[in-house]
Amino acid sequence: MKKNMVMAILGFTALFGLVFATGAFGASKIVIGNPECLSGGFAKAGEQAVGGIKACVKWVNETYGGVKVGGKKTPLEYKLYDCESKKEAVTSLIERLITVDKVDFLFAPYSSPLTLAGAPVAEKYKKLFMDHGGASDRIFQQGFKYVVQTIGPGTSYHLGTLDMIRKIDPKANKLALVYKDAEFSRDVMRGAEKHAQTVGYSIVFKRTYPEGAADLTPILSDLKGHNPDIVLGGGHEPDGMLLARQMADLDINAKAISIIVSVTLPSFYEGLKNIADGILGPSHWEYGVTYSEAGAKKLGLPWIGPGQDEFVKLFKEAVGKDLTPEYHSAEAGAAVLALVKGIEMADSLDNDKVRAALGKLHFMSFYGGWDVDDTGLQVGHSMVDMQWQGGKRIIVWPPEAATGKPCYPLPTFSQKAKGTLCIPK
Amino acid sequence: MFGIQLAGNLLQGLVLGAVYGMATMGLSLIFGVLKVVNVGHGAFMMVGAFVALWVFNGLGLSPIWAIPAAFVLGMALGFIFFHTSMKRLIKAPELASLLATFALGILLEETVKLIYGADFHGYNWIVGKVSMGITVMPMSKIYAFVGSILIALILYFWFTKTRGGTALTCVVEDSEGARVCGINVGRAYALSFSLGIGLTVASGVLLTMFIPVGISPYMGGVYTLKAFVIAVLGGLGSPYGAFFGGLIFGLLENGSYSLFALIPGLEPFAMTRFFSFLILLLILLIKPTGLLGTK
Repeated sequence: MKKNMVMAILGFTALFGLVFATGAFGASKIVIGNPECLSGGFAKAGEQAVGGIKACVKWVNETYGGVKVGGKKTPLEYKLYDCESKKEAVTSLIERLITVDKVDFLFAPYSSPLTLAGAPVAEKYKKLFMDHGGASDRIFQQGFKYVVQTIGPGTSYHLGTLDMIRKIDPKANKLALVYKDAEFSRDVMRGAEKHAQTVGYSIVFKRTYPEGAADLTPILSDLKGHNPDIVLGGGHEPDGMLLARQMADLDINAKAISIIVSVTLPSFYEGLKNIADGILGPSHWEYGVTYSEAGAKKLGLPWIGPGQDEFVKLFKEAVGKDLTPEYHSAEAGAAVLALVKGIEMADSLDNDKVRAALGKLHFMSFYGGWDVDDTGLQVGHSMVDMQWQGGKRIIVWPPEAATGKPCYPLPTFSQKAKGTLCIPK
Repeated sequence: MFGIQLAGNLLQGLVLGAVYGMATMGLSLIFGVLKVVNVGHGAFMMVGAFVALWVFNGLGLSPIWAIPAAFVLGMALGFIFFHTSMKRLIKAPELASLLATFALGILLEETVKLIYGADFHGYNWIVGKVSMGITVMPMSKIYAFVGSILIALILYFWFTKTRGGTALTCVVEDSEGARVCGINVGRAYALSFSLGIGLTVASGVLLTMFIPVGISPYMGGVYTLKAFVIAVLGGLGSPYGAFFGGLIFGLLENGSYSLFALIPGLEPFAMTRFFSFLILLLILLIKPTGLLGTK
């Protein structure tokens, strides 16, 4: 009996020793936890983000060979929960990911409000919170230390659009801003307004509409009376489509119309057909951008990750269908690559050390440049402007990334209804 | 300029209000007969919106054909859901039926998501516009308006001029009395639930004729909230009250914009909701049962 007791104690000691030794020599895997929107209002963007993350995790594990930390290549593991696009679910799932699943790093869910909701919990546990889809500048004005952004800040969305129109048509002067009254779109409008004043536009109309507005006719009737040259606006997917549709219904024509978020999605054209033609949309990434390893080398930046076509292939495998990746997937995938670079620079899984490394990191991937300031705000990534032209997505700005010329001015909605396409002359 | 804009917004509000009213009649009918608050109301409207999408994009037909199709589908869904769940919950505590309708709503949302995905869809039904001087009105909105009025009238005549409709009215007023008079109350419950869901699903089609974009499995939440407000405004349990409530809500929501736009520093669109709810509060203070509701 006594001999058995001694043997059992020795056995347990050996087992604990083995477990301890494994921890000391490095983890067998690096776990990324992510409460993502698989259902609810942001399910579409969430599906894209998950596809992008899975694509890049697969690339890191299978092509890159794992993350080099402690002299050893360690694979990534992706732990995912559906946050149902709800703030309360985000906060409780982050708690669960940290305390129950013991993940090493956290990815924020899509959207600014959900990123803002989850950030305090990540801060409480001192966990790195990789923000791939929260563009609001306000996230980085709260004093958070562990939030690191990959998507560009909301205030930068329309800078390129305004520069482009100024270059094409210096006489276009009357600018209208019609945005959803929400965290992210308010930031976009603030950035557009500031830049418009710098470049010399005159703002003839500036109004917001509330979240969940089913009919924008009143605000658009008001807009019509101001006869703008350029209309910038939107918020997220459904209201962006509604804005374009009801502008067409009310015959509100402008030389250029740019709508955030929704325009970049294929569903925008599928739902609106000829109404969508010629409408511009700022985008963080579009298929056809020319970022490459050779380009990174010229700029003296390190490169990591799959090439554009390889990313598209991995994305389609990850989502299991012939879905086109959009910028929501590219920015989420790029956040994985940034984390890998950060871990390798820090040579540690310690979240504070990785956060410090990310502060010094500047690299390029298929998504473009990546660099953050002291607050974690993305400052190294440039946006592009895309435009629907005859049913095709064309990158029209900046010139170095463009895959075609901009179509300007837009045909009127009546002309488009009769079959006129927005094709540049 | 102000007058033209106000008149234009009121006209647009009237058209939208008729669709809102029609969309709330099913909710009010179900509450009136079964005393069940259908919190899955918006999800049933969403089903109607997808029927319109399918009829237009899938079959290449006018969405007008989707109205009877959605009504029949809604009646069938209502019949199935009544006999599989609601029937057992009529006498149960209110929370049980509330949770059951909430669950039905989620079930519908996730089923539609499995078929169509989480994308926002739309259809581009262009049937011309009418320039009215004060505003431009697409014909699709006019069809939605006329459709809503016609359905409300048919329902009115059915309730007042037919045996089945009168029997339902009796159950609304006094179910025990109706039973004593020989009315099959159980059948009345099944019929009103099916009819209520049928109207709600059909209203989803009419809604997309007014707003043919933003069709997604989760689009219903906004309309559930609006329908509750309109139902209370019109008088819970009164389908006609709901229709008039919808008209008033549409007029207030769209019309008040022009007034608030005159005040510098205000965001007029945000104020329209404040104004609509303020009027709702005032009406309820004066008439706690709503416009056409009875004790």
